Amino acid sequence: MMRKIGHNMMVFMSKRMIACDEASFLVSYRSEHRLGFKQWWQLKMHLLTCHLCRKYAHQIKEMNLSVDKYRESCSHDTCSHHLSDEASSKIQHALDSELHAK
Amino acid sequence: MNSTRFFYLVSVLRFDSNSCMPEEGKHILEPQHWVERYGDYLYNYAIVRVNDSEKAEDLVQETFLSAFKAKDNFLGKSSERTWLISILKRKIIDTYRKQYSSKESSMADYEQDISDGDFYRSEGPFKGHWLEGKGPHSHSLMPEGELEQKELMDIIQLCISMLPPNLASAFVMKMIDEAESDEVCKELGITASNLWVMLHRARLKMRQCLESKWLK
Repeated sequence: MMRKIGHNMMVFMSKRMIACDEASFLVSYRSEHRLGFKQWWQLKMHLLTCHLCRKYAHQIKEMNLSVDKYRESCSHDTCSHHLSDEASSKIQHALDSELHAK
Repeated sequence: MNSTRFFYLVSVLRFDSNSCMPEEGKHILEPQHWVERYGDYLYNYAIVRVNDSEKAEDLVQETFLSAFKAKDNFLGKSSERTWLISILKRKIIDTYRKQYSSKESSMADYEQDISDGDFYRSEGPFKGHWLEGKGPHSHSLMPEGELEQKELMDIIQLCISMLPPNLASAFVMKMIDEAESDEVCKELGITASNLWVMLHRARLKMRQCLESKWLK
């Protein structure tokens, strides 16, 4: 009897549990959407039991912060990319010929 | 010409016969100084988004030339730099769109880009769980101690450049340009659910790349 109840509970749980592929998708998805109760609960339960996905969720949070830093630093002229002299003069030349054509 | 492009042109290139008159408070265009003043800035902006120096140089050149051709339509309300960036932005989006549509022609490649097969088990009792070695190893992506800002930027840029082109387009538009999802979907001609699958896939690849580079 107990075994049967245990078995039924396992079947019930496994039907409602999500695997790492869905959990990691929800981790990504929740960054911009509010999860429905069912998805929220499934993700919560998965993260409770899966140390890899807990790490994944933490790393994704860190990655988003780093990408924010990357974007900010690049919008403040601190990115170290410069047009090469060769490219600069090529572009200047192309623009000059347009300027003089007018 | 599709309608998005048409409305963009109408908004950016509105005709105004007095546009180059230096009225009080209005910005004026000085094309002869563009390369010297904004060359590096535009190049920086482009290379962060296309990850290819040659392509970035071409985009800068095309931007200057298109801007010069459309100089009569500059209203002087925004600065020269803002105006040039808005033209460059449009050119970058066009590049993404081209990449995306050429990628779509090869459905096998596209399916490969968004399939999860190389991260999760595809069969057996642990179907859907991380494959051995494909999941995260460490709790934190950040190594001990503060990384130099420059090093961090280089690694992020390298990892973005290693993404397949269509994932990179979606990732950059959403994460670097902070575009609204609707806008990204419209520009790339994809559905919202498609976008989220692509972003998820891009994050999986980015995370793997960052972990392998930082913890090396």
